[in-house]
Amino acid sequence: MELNKTQKEMLDGKKGSGARKAMEILVAYGECYNAERLIPITSVHMAGNFPVLLDEGIEWLEDLAQDGTKVSVYTTKNPEMFDFEEAEELRIPKIYQVRQKKIDTALRSLGVTLTYSCHHYLVGNVPRFGDHIAWASSGSQVFANSVIGARSNRDGDHVALAAAITGAIPEWGLHLVENRKGEMLIDVGPLNLDEYDPADYKALGWYLGKMVGMKIPVFVNLPPDMQIEEVKGLLYTLTVTGATGLVHLVGVTPEAPTLEAAFGGAPPSSPEIIASQDKVDKAYIEISSSSDENVDLVIFGCPQCSIQEVQEISNMLEGKKLHPETQLWICTSAWVKTLCKRMGLLDKLGSSGARVVADVGAADGPHLYLREQGIRVIAMNSARGSYYAHNLFGMDTWFGSTRECVQTAISGKWKGTR
Amino acid sequence: MKIKAKPVTTGVAEGQAIVSRMPIFFTGGMDPSAGIIREPGHDLEGQSVAGRILVFPSGKGSTTGSWQFYAAYKRGSAPKGIINVKAEGVVAVSAIITGTPMVQEPEKDPFEFIENGDLVRIDANEGIVEVEKKQRK
Repeated sequence: MELNKTQKEMLDGKKGSGARKAMEILVAYGECYNAERLIPITSVHMAGNFPVLLDEGIEWLEDLAQDGTKVSVYTTKNPEMFDFEEAEELRIPKIYQVRQKKIDTALRSLGVTLTYSCHHYLVGNVPRFGDHIAWASSGSQVFANSVIGARSNRDGDHVALAAAITGAIPEWGLHLVENRKGEMLIDVGPLNLDEYDPADYKALGWYLGKMVGMKIPVFVNLPPDMQIEEVKGLLYTLTVTGATGLVHLVGVTPEAPTLEAAFGGAPPSSPEIIASQDKVDKAYIEISSSSDENVDLVIFGCPQCSIQEVQEISNMLEGKKLHPETQLWICTSAWVKTLCKRMGLLDKLGSSGARVVADVGAADGPHLYLREQGIRVIAMNSARGSYYAHNLFGMDTWFGSTRECVQTAISGKWKGTR
Repeated sequence: MKIKAKPVTTGVAEGQAIVSRMPIFFTGGMDPSAGIIREPGHDLEGQSVAGRILVFPSGKGSTTGSWQFYAAYKRGSAPKGIINVKAEGVVAVSAIITGTPMVQEPEKDPFEFIENGDLVRIDANEGIVEVEKKQRK
């Protein structure tokens, strides 16, 4: 891989130990994929939290920060384990408080913007069409490529941080226009999409992700008025059962105004996959991993809830109270929580017994201590969240629509209909 | 036997080989405390890769794998060296942040000339893999 003068100096250690480490990572990574050079980036997002970093990962971050190393590009951070404002109220064990504090201190020293959010694109980290970026976290990466038209590979945190420090990323994969063409045509025409809600799109993404694998799928016959929560539902789930980084939703994706544009030429004469409702119904059953109807916790926010979603849940809970043995958490960013406070939603939700929790996502962080607090059966409107909560933390999960989850929180028993 | 391979990192490592014909992932696929592969149905399921020269086709799975590999390394549970048919980002980054000697694209199919228990030496500075067959009883 060719390096310019500054990049060579970084590799030789002339710009400090952090820059050297960063450049070593990028060179090894770039050469794996036969990248010819490094290209400048405009935005970085880092994903890992304590459950994957572990103590050793925290030390790695602290070492990196030691030499006064700083990011040179705007960099945001995914959720952590608990709400920074409510550690005591949430009964967070000291061992986790200490670790979250250490991560926070190291990131602060590196100059990372402490968003603790996975909807960072709603709170300030918005690249432009065509921008080269390094976003770890498979869900937001596919959102950036497919909805914004920015260009990111499926980079891990070490690569993303190295890119943030050096300001550059190896040019390969989805950074190159010729690699962004559609590879597989999927027709969703047979589905009654006018009746679909976001949960249905998640079940659809679950079943199709397995068939998509690492390819770039092109979806046709989507409704022209597809809502952003539906787009997110489909995209974020496709990257759970599959590993695609870019999805062309014809009529939604900036690079796919037409079928021809999506394929960069003549599309295939017939679709490789014609979606069927049977398989969507089957996905609902597969996503749920619980058989116990008594639900300990209903947890929303994978990805973190937007203000619109909080409003929707609040409306559904209007005048109702949660079952005494069931909790309801709405996971979101500190920004949306502030907005909830301003709009009276915190009090309103609180009077029903629901809780708005900032700085966490519903898929991972909180489950570390929730399990220790006796929470075992959870209900979610996120297929992605269900997968990670079950497979990484051993939670028993139910998956259904927002309304079914809210009804479950009120009755204490799973109210899903599929 | 001595063959050429493309270096991914630098350094020299020597140890007993453990060979898998299946891709490996680290987050959820390997216990960082003991280096035991725990993916159900994997051909190394239940076996530890700690201190061995790990030979496998390629990496797969979550990009958070490099954090888990780093933790395994710090706990003395990571492989000493890596030979991949084709290097992929997660494994390459894991090797670079831990200083683990790693090569890829050996000039011959590694599954034809390396078996479990063989003594293998990786020279990632020169891009050379040396194999000494284990003693058969």
